[in-house]
Amino acid sequence: MKVLFLGAFAASQFDFIAPVIESSVEIGTLANERDTHALAAALRDTDIVVSDLWRAGMPAAPRLKLLQAPVAGTDMIDRAALPSGVTICNAYGHEIPMAEYAVMAMLVWCHRYFDIAVEFRGGSWRDSGVTNGPLHRELGGLTVGIVGLGQIGRETAARAAALGCHVVAANRTPREGVAGVERVFPLAELDRMLPLCDIVVLCVGLAPETRGLIDARRLALMKRDALLINLGRGPVADEDALYAALRDRSIGGAALDVWYRYPTPEEPSIRPSRHPFHELPNVIMTPHCSAWTEGMARRRGADAARNIDRFIRGGPLMHVVATT
Amino acid sequence: MKALFSGNVAADTANGIRAELPSELEVEIVADPKELTAKAAAEADILVTNIWRADYPPAPRVKFVQSVATGIEWIDTAALPRGVPICNAYGHETAIAEYVLMVMLVWSHRFREIESGFRERSSWAPSWVESGAPHGEIRSSTLGIVGLGRVGREVARRAAAFGCRILAANRSPREAGDGVERVFPLAALDEMLPLCDTVAICTAFGPETEGLFDARRLARMKPTAYLVNIARGAIIDEDALYAALRGGTIGGAAIDVWWQYPNAAEPQRRGSRHPFHELPNVVMTPHCSGWTSGMVRRRWDEIAENLRCFVRGETLINVVTTT
Repeated sequence: MKVLFLGAFAASQFDFIAPVIESSVEIGTLANERDTHALAAALRDTDIVVSDLWRAGMPAAPRLKLLQAPVAGTDMIDRAALPSGVTICNAYGHEIPMAEYAVMAMLVWCHRYFDIAVEFRGGSWRDSGVTNGPLHRELGGLTVGIVGLGQIGRETAARAAALGCHVVAANRTPREGVAGVERVFPLAELDRMLPLCDIVVLCVGLAPETRGLIDARRLALMKRDALLINLGRGPVADEDALYAALRDRSIGGAALDVWYRYPTPEEPSIRPSRHPFHELPNVIMTPHCSAWTEGMARRRGADAARNIDRFIRGGPLMHVVATT
Repeated sequence: MKALFSGNVAADTANGIRAELPSELEVEIVADPKELTAKAAAEADILVTNIWRADYPPAPRVKFVQSVATGIEWIDTAALPRGVPICNAYGHETAIAEYVLMVMLVWSHRFREIESGFRERSSWAPSWVESGAPHGEIRSSTLGIVGLGRVGREVARRAAAFGCRILAANRSPREAGDGVERVFPLAALDEMLPLCDTVAICTAFGPETEGLFDARRLARMKPTAYLVNIARGAIIDEDALYAALRGGTIGGAAIDVWWQYPNAAEPQRRGSRHPFHELPNVVMTPHCSGWTSGMVRRRWDEIAENLRCFVRGETLINVVTTT
């Protein structure tokens, strides 16, 4: 059996996957998938491709049966361009750091941690108990609304509940018996959930029904001091409406990890939005890195390697996304 | 019966709980102890305060002291009549446990550096889209809690939900549970320290904990370890901690409690004689980990209840010592 790690990202994950494969396989790597000559040669006898991408116009891959993505998102895989009979699988493990990130952002927001640390480093005891300074908030007792009760949403719910939050959720399909969640609204009834929440966490991917889901009207339904956390995809929250709501304080603040613009070779330091979110003091912003931990890479690598072993031994595959 | 609320924290408390106090209790509020009169001190049956000094006017009638804080080291018991019970106040456990989890998460995820780099320089370097260097998680990391009292237990419960492995060290034997895998006697702290990725100091201050973390014990910690102190500054040797952080003996620290505090003459006084504020591996906060609206609400409820108990002649809660 021949396995090909294809593309820069798959190549970067080689060390987390290849050493964990138990079956005897021949492993190749092609970091530059645009090297069509090398790619054509490699794909001629490859059985398994490890990659996050597949484009139209790729050379023939007559023996390809498994496309194992080392990531959760398979939006860069053009299914129509694959030969028929290829099973596409993805990998998880990102839900743990993302849930940690969500709760961390909640805590930092409630405790005003960054502001207080900066102020004190400068020498001021303004926020101290010993000077009877202004109080901050606790997370315990607040209501957290999770939009999208998939793996990330469920892991976030469990942690928020352990910190004493009331957790509610909105999900497209009905869910029952989710640990820590007091009530699940159908996504169509999101408008009823939003006014209840002190914190809203977006854990949904981008799809026709989630693009612009949080628009000006829905932002206006949120509490005026509410925190919005976006871990899904930038455009789930309408860019113009979100900026305006934060600037005008119609919501309290936001912690944003996913964006509207991403760097390119021409603009490696591009700002993540056409609006200056970085000038707003009520925004916590990170560069799409909430999941990006060593633990995630290890768990995903183990998932991908186990799937390759299962494929070779003829066992059932995990995390099947589709079969062409 | 007269209750004297002395100091600004006590003054806020008095205003917050006044409506819940028995009508026979007369309330006197002195927000600034410098304005404390001999008459007010002389007539007080109950003191509600966090500070009582030897140079204050005598308070010979006092029969009960209710602290508005948990630590009572700023109440000079020698300046009070004999046989007076001193009660402290809690309600800060939730806030402090949240703080401990927060600083652990922020440290592991490198949240402050990544956030400020992205805000200030639009740096995408830590992002997966740039295949940047990954950061850490707290799942599966080992947390050592020194002092498994009310705060320590609340920390353990929360850390357990994040999949941390939890160890603890406590002076008196305590049962495991609340996610704690093993409880070491405090005398065996040296065995626990090398196992921990994070050490959270949650113990009370006293002769057996003063200077507990000295140069030798800091050297037993992992070179990557994170030390969190939300208890009292002097539990850690000031010189040794500064040297360990500057020299990389340990990875970093979150410090909320200090060796020196501001006073009227020096309102901007630094918390230490060493420049901790110049170290990049230190997050420092001004003794505020428990300083939340939730803490105040719970603490006021407890203090009001204790004052009602005293007036009715019922058993007091949270008696720490008797003068």
